[in-house]
Amino acid sequence: MSQSLVDDPAEAAPGLERPVEASRGPDPGRRVDVRRLLRFVVRRPGLLLSVVVLVLVVLASFRPGLFASQDPLRGVPSQNFRGPSGSHWFGTDELGRDVFSRVVHGAQLSLKATLIAVLVAFVVGGLLGVVAGFVGRWVDDVLMRFVDVLLAIPALFMSLALVTALGYGTVKVAVAVGIASVAAFARVARAEVLRVRQAVFVEASRASGARWYSVLGRHVLPNAAGPVIVLATLDFGSSILAVSALSFLGYGAPPPAPEWGTLISDGRNYLANAWWLTALPGLAIAATVLATNRIARALDGEWSRQR
Amino acid sequence: MRRYVIKRLAQAVGVLWAAYTVSFLVLDYLPGDPVTAMAGAGMDSGQVDPKQIAALRHEYGFDKPVVVQYAEYLGRAARGDFGDAVSTGRPVTSTLADALPQTLQLTGAALLLAVVLGGGLAVLATYTAQRWLRQLLLSLPPLGVSVPTFWVGLLLVETFSFRLHWFPAFGNDGPKGLVLPALTLAVPTGAQVAQVLAKSLLTALDQAYVETARAKGADRWRVHLRHALRNASLPALTVVGLLVGQLIAGSVVVETVFSRDGLGRVTAAAVTAQDIPLVQGVVVFGALIFVTTNLVIDLVYPLLDPRVVVASDRRAALA
Amino acid sequence: MTALPDVRSTPWAALTALVTTSVLLTACGSSGTDPGSGTGQPRSGGTLTFAVGSDAGCVDPQQVASNETIYSVRQIVDSLTDQDPKTGKIVPWLAKSWDVSSDATTFTFRLRSGVTFSDGSKLTAQVVKDNFDAVPRLGALGTLAEGYLSGVKSTTVVDPLTVKVTFKQPNAQFLQATSTHSLGIESSASVKKTPQQKCSDGVTGSGPFVLKQYVQNQSLTLAKRTGYAWGSSLWTKQGEAYLDKLVFKVVPEAGVRAGSLQSGQVDAISSVGRANEAALKGGQVTLQRRANPGIVFGLGLNNSRPALKDARVRQAILYAIDRKQVADTVFPTGTQPATSVLAHTTPDYTSLAPDLTSDAARAKSLLEAAGWKPGSDGIRTKDGKKLGLTIDWVPNAATNQPALELIQQQLKAVGIQVSLRQLQITQLAPTLQSGDYDAAWGNITRADPDILRSSFSTKLANLYRLPTSSLDTALAAQAATTDTAKRKQLIAQAQRLIVHNAYYVPVVELQTQLGVSKRVHALNFDASSRLQLHDTWIG
Repeated sequence: MSQSLVDDPAEAAPGLERPVEASRGPDPGRRVDVRRLLRFVVRRPGLLLSVVVLVLVVLASFRPGLFASQDPLRGVPSQNFRGPSGSHWFGTDELGRDVFSRVVHGAQLSLKATLIAVLVAFVVGGLLGVVAGFVGRWVDDVLMRFVDVLLAIPALFMSLALVTALGYGTVKVAVAVGIASVAAFARVARAEVLRVRQAVFVEASRASGARWYSVLGRHVLPNAAGPVIVLATLDFGSSILAVSALSFLGYGAPPPAPEWGTLISDGRNYLANAWWLTALPGLAIAATVLATNRIARALDGEWSRQR
Repeated sequence: MRRYVIKRLAQAVGVLWAAYTVSFLVLDYLPGDPVTAMAGAGMDSGQVDPKQIAALRHEYGFDKPVVVQYAEYLGRAARGDFGDAVSTGRPVTSTLADALPQTLQLTGAALLLAVVLGGGLAVLATYTAQRWLRQLLLSLPPLGVSVPTFWVGLLLVETFSFRLHWFPAFGNDGPKGLVLPALTLAVPTGAQVAQVLAKSLLTALDQAYVETARAKGADRWRVHLRHALRNASLPALTVVGLLVGQLIAGSVVVETVFSRDGLGRVTAAAVTAQDIPLVQGVVVFGALIFVTTNLVIDLVYPLLDPRVVVASDRRAALA
Repeated sequence: MTALPDVRSTPWAALTALVTTSVLLTACGSSGTDPGSGTGQPRSGGTLTFAVGSDAGCVDPQQVASNETIYSVRQIVDSLTDQDPKTGKIVPWLAKSWDVSSDATTFTFRLRSGVTFSDGSKLTAQVVKDNFDAVPRLGALGTLAEGYLSGVKSTTVVDPLTVKVTFKQPNAQFLQATSTHSLGIESSASVKKTPQQKCSDGVTGSGPFVLKQYVQNQSLTLAKRTGYAWGSSLWTKQGEAYLDKLVFKVVPEAGVRAGSLQSGQVDAISSVGRANEAALKGGQVTLQRRANPGIVFGLGLNNSRPALKDARVRQAILYAIDRKQVADTVFPTGTQPATSVLAHTTPDYTSLAPDLTSDAARAKSLLEAAGWKPGSDGIRTKDGKKLGLTIDWVPNAATNQPALELIQQQLKAVGIQVSLRQLQITQLAPTLQSGDYDAAWGNITRADPDILRSSFSTKLANLYRLPTSSLDTALAAQAATTDTAKRKQLIAQAQRLIVHNAYYVPVVELQTQLGVSKRVHALNFDASSRLQLHDTWIG
């Protein structure tokens, strides 16, 4: 997926002159942009739905009480294994806990882990890429060979090795997933930095004696950020999957924490008598990933092509 | 050509060495004291007494400086010796070798399914003149990469094993037992194949030679398959290396879901038991598979399309 | 004449089982239908596929203590004696007869002739001596077997088929111990291997089945021993077993096990929880149940932890738990809430039901009195410290996690915060020994109340870190007396002391429940609720 991004940056980050524009003061075109954005989104019902889903999931992770009034950790044991119904949308589990409520509260843990993962990948990968691209020479060679090596180890194996070393828990799993996707970020960041560095105005700014950090901070980073952010959106989806896979395998938070992967893994014990325990939490994961991927796709291509 | 081959071989060995180094850094160096973890996880762990820890420490060479440890381990690893698994006491290499055939069966079947289903989908989607069908078909791959594999597996078990009794729910018994796991593993991979192939098919269909062929009055289906697909599948071939690595890693989840014997389940058990030598063996093995696949593709590629020797050199660095 | 170690949580028993005085195994009422009474003529051949939930990581019967693994490895070895599951009587197996000295210090076994191990070697008195001499060196995993032989003075070869075991003190439980898998007889070649080798490579026995293949955490395959002709006197079939092959598959998820039994992929499954009963009933499946005697499932508290040193805190935990709710929600139908630290099927059990009620108000007032005041989040604090409890557990039964999550809820309701820490099966013993734990979940199946002494005497392993008290006196006295009435009284006193002081928090009794396809006949429980598969056939 990242490879297509490497090909696309020219279309994805068209605003080479933007810093200059921005220094002129408040952007008069912003209101127009919002309207265009709305029109863009409304014309694509799938995208609109994705945005709605993602907003709901993010809301759920910050204010779970908005969606689920029932306690995710306390159930009524005598009402266990009730199928989905009006009072329990996703049914109840082996201890009579409301599964919908557990999924909603689980969003908090799972999204937190995903955010950490993306952040780790973004910061570490971005840093590697920027340093490699900006410094160049042997530093570039060394860092990029290192990144090649990271790419050679399948991401899940890399995460598992890190989990073995770090131990279990939501945050540790998140870090393990993040580090496993550092390589893609390093690549894209480097490619962008290289591209921007050779742009005329950057060359000019350097020639006029600007300090390297000011060149980096004022010109290179803002212009190189676009594709990296698109990648982060894409990575968000795959990180949700990776995080939930690891918690499915049992490396996440201990019970009764309702991490999405853990919910499904616990539900396996009741596969024969309570399908909703595995099917419905999985639906939540799939919907979230689908939504973020759709949005990433829109950011990646459609939006910029539409200009 | 010979120089190219030698260079690629050297590159592959270099990547493997570095992958080993990374795994060494992560696993042997990162945790404060792997020995305590081992003593806790090992079979002979009744009494974790200091003497035993010291002995273990000595046995695994942890009492030596890191550099010396690294050199010794690397020397052994180069000969294919990754030490003994802590949880079973069996050599890592033979543990992996025993588990491998089952996993190769699974990943092989999954790759085949992925290529046939994903490729078929891409061809059909780009061929059909029906807009709705094309839309529908093209919306499947994004769905395929978004669903958690373990969830798909469980849904398949629930439906086809428990309800319909068509296929076994777990285990390695015969080709029937392979169907559901392979299908599960093929879903994300097939979706990626479809995405890549559809994209390059569309590019190829825009090319001049396709126009020429059409102008000559060739049958549309024939143009699609003979000309466009042939040219489009070459670039698609380059992602196979990536996919094979993914499939091997994906076996961890799929083999767990289907309680199948194999490399993936060995890996999951090794992580749970904090079996450091075994996990290290798995990581390096994963890199080996990736590197080998890419090497083979890079060596075969010029034979399929002699024009790309130079280009593939660039791509090799990218892979 | 008993001592029936058999365990769910491996190392617990491994660390405990010790000497007992004699009492008949009265326990183990069995319910459910017996598929052995099925129709049709028994026939030879076929493969039994059995899905179990966990693997102890070892295939040496002398070292394994986890039921799910004993089911399979038990079939590899024969024992000197066997025990009738109905009467508890000890009957001949490899030993055709025996003498026990009147002071129960000397045991003389006369072996059957013509018995061979699967490597071709012969069973002789020397082989038995080699086994018993090697047992004390088995190390951590073998402490179950070691316990039976503790205090052994010597094992001597009287003649090629007569062996004499002498103890320093009276050790009446030893006769029954010879009927267990832990003292199953292995060939001399196997006995010479290190315990680790025996664990990973397996052993050579004289049993009705031979180990063909073992893949850790995955599967274990046994094949019929051809020419087998020295079965236990309890078995109905003479000679070889009916089945050609036994395949034990490790399938950790109870739901997958249940579904596979329904779909016919496997013939039998272990540890069926309540959740899957409804689905399995009525189909081509019978549920077989057998109550286990011994120490009930519960929380083994670390009595040396600062917060848990206070009896009021321990008692609060005892009252906060709703045993009936745990039993009715999670465990198989028919499972009884604990009414003592011993299961009701254990000899000399005393009902302490009035002391084991669920009373959250009382729990709260006890905590209040101990100085633990509710904090803003509902969790009690004292001197700025939260009242937290980490419960260690191992995934060797599907019922463990839901039961603990329920207990977690129940304790939270009175202001105690519980975190659950999952350990590997092999990690539990070292953790308990090290003392670095708050509480651990488990049980110990054993048909003799002496298990109380093994578990709670401060003179022995004392895993729960009890202080010395009058409990020690009672436990020591019951072991020394031969007067059954007096012993019963002492055991009752010990149970009361344990429950009143809440050294251990009893929760529910264990009841083994298997799901067995109706095609399978005579899949029988042995005296300790494990399996005897020699007579089993598929029709």
